[in-house]
Amino acid sequence: MTLKRAVPARHVFAIYWRTWFAQIRAIVEYPADLWVMASAGAVWNILQFAFLAVLFANVPNVAGWDYHEMLMLSGLLSVAGGCNALFWDGAWSTGTMVIKGDIDYRITRPAPVIIQVGSSHIGMQSIGEVVFGAAMFVYGWIGAGIGFAAVPIGVLAIVCAALIQCALVTALCAVNFWIKGQASIFAFLLIELQGNAMKMPLGIFPSGVRIVAMFLVPVAFVNFVPVSVITGHMSAWWLAGIPAAVIGSVLLAVGVYRLGLRAYDSAGH
Amino acid sequence: MPILEAQSLTKTFRRPDKASGFKGAVKHLMQRKYKNYTAVDGIDLSIEPGESVAYVGPNGAGKSTTVKLLTGILRPSEGTVRVMGRDPHTERIANAHDIGVLFGQRTQLWWDLPVEESLKLLKHMYGVSDADYKRRIEKFDELLDLGEFMPALARTLSLGQRMRADLACALIHDPKMVYLDEPTIGLDISVKDRLRAFLRELVNDGTTLLLTSHDLADIEEVCERIVVIDKGAIAYDGSIDRLKAHYITTKAVNLYLEGAADVPELAEKFPDYEWAAGEAPSEVTVTYESGRFTTAEVLGSLTAQLSPRDLSLSEPSIEDVIRRLYAGELTK
Repeated sequence: MTLKRAVPARHVFAIYWRTWFAQIRAIVEYPADLWVMASAGAVWNILQFAFLAVLFANVPNVAGWDYHEMLMLSGLLSVAGGCNALFWDGAWSTGTMVIKGDIDYRITRPAPVIIQVGSSHIGMQSIGEVVFGAAMFVYGWIGAGIGFAAVPIGVLAIVCAALIQCALVTALCAVNFWIKGQASIFAFLLIELQGNAMKMPLGIFPSGVRIVAMFLVPVAFVNFVPVSVITGHMSAWWLAGIPAAVIGSVLLAVGVYRLGLRAYDSAGH
Repeated sequence: MPILEAQSLTKTFRRPDKASGFKGAVKHLMQRKYKNYTAVDGIDLSIEPGESVAYVGPNGAGKSTTVKLLTGILRPSEGTVRVMGRDPHTERIANAHDIGVLFGQRTQLWWDLPVEESLKLLKHMYGVSDADYKRRIEKFDELLDLGEFMPALARTLSLGQRMRADLACALIHDPKMVYLDEPTIGLDISVKDRLRAFLRELVNDGTTLLLTSHDLADIEEVCERIVVIDKGAIAYDGSIDRLKAHYITTKAVNLYLEGAADVPELAEKFPDYEWAAGEAPSEVTVTYESGRFTTAEVLGSLTAQLSPRDLSLSEPSIEDVIRRLYAGELTK
């Protein structure tokens, strides 16, 4: 009897980080590209900052949320999106790799394909996104009068937000194993939805939208739920839902990717 | 026990069934129709450890698809594959440690990294020890001159350098079963020679090799056994020597006469042979059935009666046989 040989988790992490650092070395081959992309991300976040400042100069609060709390919502979402691009941007290449048959070699190596694909690219705009997103989050945190005692929850919120974001994007990009398109249209829709809707308190939306965002595609757990708990808009019990959302999203991503690999038919036959 | 065994291996793809042009594309958008295309059709293949097998066929015959099925990249529509007793698709990770793969038309090097970095990434992925890595890199350097471009970025390599680097990537973990899909495509003669010498060394060391190539010199120089595939099915499976002995039934002699050759007159004088004019007026090619006449007999009668200025023997060409197999002129 032949046993299936699993890849130890430590080995998987080592492969991930080695590949990621290799990408960093590759990126510095193109310094102009690096600075342009990093600046673009920063400019985008400064605009977000300015938009909220203008909004709250005219409106005292939105559904009970003040300026600093809204900054935390936007900031955490930017950090999550930035982490996706910084640590897991390769997932966006899934469609292109499927069309071009670039998954082939990755299947013949003794490492999870999802890890090899996820770590295959770094989006440099993410540096600006992460830095300014974090700055917005911290500025909002201080302005909202949240003390140091909640810092561990804040750190957990950031880590979980990044994991949920990466997992949801991966699951939606994996749809391209079946639809055979280069553009990850469903993942783009997710980002658009988050950019337009998830920077606002979920309370302003109809209950149907709230249920979808909380339980079906748990985007609310990226920024809305953790910020609501930290700022006292939701009870602390909701904190338990955040790791659950991480586990659910990651299992979903891994499951969809595995099914996708079963449907993969390479290129050139 | 075979290292690789495929039984009734079949792969069917679904392809869009649409008319050409813009109109066809729009119509297909509204009325989606598909048809099935069988790329590999019930192949039975068994390879023993240490064998070197050439897997050849015309374009679109199903060679690359077979390699992808054997390496676990694709799932068979029907049939089974076992490599060292494992299903390469469902037991992908375990299988990956024992196989090496090279697709000549693609690279597995990290495009913006030095070759050395790509090899190190693969070293860690396969869990190769420092000592083994050093020993293998030294060997690759000796046989493939890898050292000269180890620090170069993959995107700056020539095709020949890229192929040698990719070969090193495929073999860095010392796999037992190696699949090479067109490893000499687009290479110049000197690089081809170097690669073939390297592959011979690999086979001599006991590695099992499955090689697909359109370059029949690759096959003759590296492999002992040949499997010819056409339209997804095996047209021939046996030793290269047997293929030659079985299918090459004629031999040829090129004669260079003192004056211009009169082909009809020669054909009348020697009716047992087939005559054809050569490139020069004084050159003529004589083809005879090797089962009826020995070369000595043919040469004896021709030299005695025609006193040629010079002559040369045409060696039987496996290329001609395979070309005729592709054309359906020969059967299994």
